[in-house]
Amino acid sequence: MNLETIRPHLPWITLLGLVVIVGLINPSFFNPSGLLSLATDVAPLFIMALGMTFAIYIGGIDLSAQQVANLITVLATVYLAQFGIGVALLCVLAGFLIGAISGFVTTRLYVPSFVSTLAMGFVALSAAKYFSGERALSMDATARNESFGWMFASTAGIPHPLIIAGVLLAIAWFLQTRTTFGRALKAVGAGELAAVASGLNVDRVKILAFALSGTFAAIAGLMFSVKLSGGDANLANGFLLLAIVAVLVGGTPLTGGVGGVLNTAIGTLIVMVIRAAMVYLEVDATQQQMVFGVVLIIAIALTIDRSKLRGVVK
Amino acid sequence: MYELKQVDKHFPGVHALKAVDFEVKRGEIVGLVGENGAGKSTLMKVIYGAYQPDGGNITIDGTTVRFQNPRQAMDHGIGMVFQEQSLITNLTVMENIFLGFEQQFVSYGVIDWKSMADAARHQLAKVKLDIDPATITSKLSFAQRQLVELAKVLTLEERVDGDLVILLDEPTSVLAKEEVELLFKLVRDLTKRASFIFVSHRMDEVLELSDRIYVMKDGEVVDVVGHDEADVDAIQHKMVGREVDKEYYREQKQQAYDAESVLLQFDDVSNGSRFKNISFSLHAGEVLCLVGTEGSGREAILRTIYGLETPSAGKVTIKGEQIAQFTARGGVERGVGYVPRERKVEGIVGGMNVYENMTLSQMENYASNGVLRTGEEKKLAKNWIERLGIKTPSEYKDCGGLSGGNQQKVVLAKWRSGGSDIILLDHPTRGLDIGAKEDVYEMVREMSDAGIGIILIADTLEEAIGLSHTIIVIKDGEFQKRFDGRPGDKPSLYDLVHHMI
Amino acid sequence: MTDIAIQSPPMERFLTRERIIKWAPLLVLAVLMLLFPFFEWLEDFREGKDHIYLVDSRFFSIRNAARIFVAASPALMVAVGVTFIIIMGSIDLSMEGTVSVCAVIFAFAFLAWGGTIASFGILAIPLAMLVGAVMGFINGLVHVRLKIPSFMASLAMGFVGTGFALLLTGGDRIRVEDELFRSLLTERIFNFPIMCYVALAFLLIAWFIQSRTTLGRNFYAVGGGEELAHASGLNVERVRVLGFMLAGIFFAVGALLAVGRIGIAETATGNNFMFISITAVVVGGTALWGGIGGVWNTLVGVLVVNVINNGMVVIGLPGYVQDGVLGLLVIIAVVLSTDRKSVSFVK
Repeated sequence: MNLETIRPHLPWITLLGLVVIVGLINPSFFNPSGLLSLATDVAPLFIMALGMTFAIYIGGIDLSAQQVANLITVLATVYLAQFGIGVALLCVLAGFLIGAISGFVTTRLYVPSFVSTLAMGFVALSAAKYFSGERALSMDATARNESFGWMFASTAGIPHPLIIAGVLLAIAWFLQTRTTFGRALKAVGAGELAAVASGLNVDRVKILAFALSGTFAAIAGLMFSVKLSGGDANLANGFLLLAIVAVLVGGTPLTGGVGGVLNTAIGTLIVMVIRAAMVYLEVDATQQQMVFGVVLIIAIALTIDRSKLRGVVK
Repeated sequence: MYELKQVDKHFPGVHALKAVDFEVKRGEIVGLVGENGAGKSTLMKVIYGAYQPDGGNITIDGTTVRFQNPRQAMDHGIGMVFQEQSLITNLTVMENIFLGFEQQFVSYGVIDWKSMADAARHQLAKVKLDIDPATITSKLSFAQRQLVELAKVLTLEERVDGDLVILLDEPTSVLAKEEVELLFKLVRDLTKRASFIFVSHRMDEVLELSDRIYVMKDGEVVDVVGHDEADVDAIQHKMVGREVDKEYYREQKQQAYDAESVLLQFDDVSNGSRFKNISFSLHAGEVLCLVGTEGSGREAILRTIYGLETPSAGKVTIKGEQIAQFTARGGVERGVGYVPRERKVEGIVGGMNVYENMTLSQMENYASNGVLRTGEEKKLAKNWIERLGIKTPSEYKDCGGLSGGNQQKVVLAKWRSGGSDIILLDHPTRGLDIGAKEDVYEMVREMSDAGIGIILIADTLEEAIGLSHTIIVIKDGEFQKRFDGRPGDKPSLYDLVHHMI
Repeated sequence: MTDIAIQSPPMERFLTRERIIKWAPLLVLAVLMLLFPFFEWLEDFREGKDHIYLVDSRFFSIRNAARIFVAASPALMVAVGVTFIIIMGSIDLSMEGTVSVCAVIFAFAFLAWGGTIASFGILAIPLAMLVGAVMGFINGLVHVRLKIPSFMASLAMGFVGTGFALLLTGGDRIRVEDELFRSLLTERIFNFPIMCYVALAFLLIAWFIQSRTTLGRNFYAVGGGEELAHASGLNVERVRVLGFMLAGIFFAVGALLAVGRIGIAETATGNNFMFISITAVVVGGTALWGGIGGVWNTLVGVLVVNVINNGMVVIGLPGYVQDGVLGLLVIIAVVLSTDRKSVSFVK
């Protein structure tokens, strides 16, 4: 057994190991209702990570996800009264657009994605501050319950956020595995030059990948906004690190091409368990970021495909 | 003074140097010629310390030496002027000259620019280049940069006691005629301080400059001729030697092509400086081979046909339709298939399995509304695995894990299953073992029989002659000569080499 | 002498890409400095007030210049630090974490060792710089040894740094009220607070490193052609790690100035430094691909960024516009500095 053969299985082995450890320390971890609420809490993060998966899968990154979500919380709150449930469409479109612009800047203008998405993130932040008037806004309770009350209800004991997350995962998985777009994504991530030489429209695929990342970030933002019944240009801060961690510990490497949305599901669960463990172990909330920063470095180091970096690591 | 005796070098599957004897005398200019793959570059790498020989020994003034890396070779006075520009263009000339050796100009952590400039000027004077050492290198012409590289190597003179041996690898490839003259004059002057090994594909230049010429073929030194008895024709015959094995290239299977049906036509097509005014036509069932040295523009022609590059002038017509928009997608749709040289990087997608690779260029044929019909893909893959005898456990196998020959078959299956009838083969047999090569030749014949037009850049001249109906020789991006290659009436290697260099 | 020297260089056009890259940042700065007073003039003109262009400008005054320089000083130090990294063709996104950690550790040590510059408290200053160097060292090791692309290695290290600062403070603010230390801001020489001169001094040091030391020149060699530099015998890994250490030290200086400016050290001390400094470096004309640019470019870039910030407030535009403007500016700067022929694809 060497690292290469275990590598694809590392994520779920890690998950299993963590679950066992946490379970041993605190058997009440296995309490179904507790688990369910943990999972429900992590749903918006999971959705953002799903979108991020597409960007990383092609070998890029989306550093704007958090700011897009911020902007969406503001947009959703501001326009809820006016459009009702239709605001969801507005949010999704806004996310798609921002992502598509990042993708365009990356592919057509040759700006590396970590810069283009960072920059677009600040454009989104600017917009969020504009629409919010730099204040924390709250939703009109009646309008919220009327339009989005269903979002946090539950059916047969299963909270709706979980169902939404499940449906989105199914959609993303279908896109990734069953469509020409998904196949093209894989080709771009695994061997961009071969994809070009096979006549694929690589630019379009990449732009779409970033647009999807923006879209999912928007859905995450909407969900978060409804959950907290408000919007603020800083509401989703802290999500970016966790979303990237979720994708990478799930086994989609920074170099792209392998892994995918199911891996991100596992990755998000790992994040969830680590968080829960920190609560049990009474690790201060302030230390979480440090822990996840270190987890991130370890995850990258273990998953990255160094042969793709062609000897030069910048 | 500097001598190689019976030097051997093996690579997996290749005997790259076979008992090579090589000698450089003090103040001598030694020429080194040979076809691509004859072992010139391996020999040079052994000389400047990048490779270590498996057998034989190297002596300097009778003392045996062994270099672990180029730095050690440098310490013994052996320096290399690289063919590719190896100067860092954003640095100044003097920084480039002393890169890695700045410490001599540092006192208390501070670089003394003035003394570095003085030292640099001293080096530049050796190559008679009168420029300010503080000039940024990117501002220099290619000829000037070549001289700076030479000046950089000449710093060995101060660092090393004893004689210098300097390798010049294709130093004239970016120079104009008069610049070449100046370089030669300089090199002759410098023989007072150093010996030179001169490698070039321009035979006339080698003849002009060298005191003695080593001719290499298939990893062996086949002849050593002095300047006075050197004769271009004789050397070229020595370089190519062996005649073509008809059996091997399936010559008996070569059918006449259909001269009526033109698949592709080039009318005076140019692409910047890479190729100029190229015209030819490709017919159904024809194997057209582009022959030329490395960098003669052959690859750019293929990439233009496929649509990866847009020509700067001229008319490209594919099946009667003049191409206006050059995109790879368009190429695929017009039935052009491209088998790139870099099989692992551009040919297959490592990490994707056999059927995914086969349908990559034609996914829309296996999808309804963007949803893939994977069952059909697998059926197609199974079919072609059998048809081409691809050795893979199943269609689920990651293509990155297949052998080179089987990867090449997957790439060919990709285009043939998609119905491409113009196939561009760029070094299709590079790095394959003999059995896999023969499979590729077999497939080439099969494809021509099926009426597919093939444009081939062959790995060797023998391969080009053996496989082709038509050969077009290109030199420095320009058309030289067209040969017909009917079985039994093929041009000889010598005919081709004569026009190539 | 041969005639080769007389030959004209490859490109001899007036508007070469290199020239544009070289002068565009200064031009932008000049235009901005004339534009904001113009808007002021326009407003007063509409309202019928007396206003002589430039002379009566609130923007174009010594007092406002001092304001801009004070705001720019910490950012300049951070940006200078990251300039070295970008010259190498890498990037460092760890500055927010590093600045916070340095600021917090400085404040704790400063207070513990006497709470004033006129005591052992002064030792907190080299301590903070040492902390910066150590963090840069770790950052460089993670990047070079684990072969993780620098943007991701440093981003993760930044998260770790911010988390560590939070751990140290528990979310509290630490006040640094020593008058002697605060004289960085309060004491003025020729209308400008001392911190501006401190920043200038460190800028000169950075310039010295960049132009007169082997390390500084090696940054350019690595950025201009890493493989060629390696082939010439340069220890590229060592240069990279040293680069990140150097950047860490400058981040620490930035942290000190930031604390001096506000009088508070906290986890949030590092906030916003990442985007502002990266923007400043690329807007100043240091190419993201490495090899060209330098600390003077960064000075221009930092001034452009801060003039935009300040000018928008002066002409009464809401503050949030600047984030968006800077975002677009970054994209434009990177696009301008990219030679598309030399880039095959970008991720």
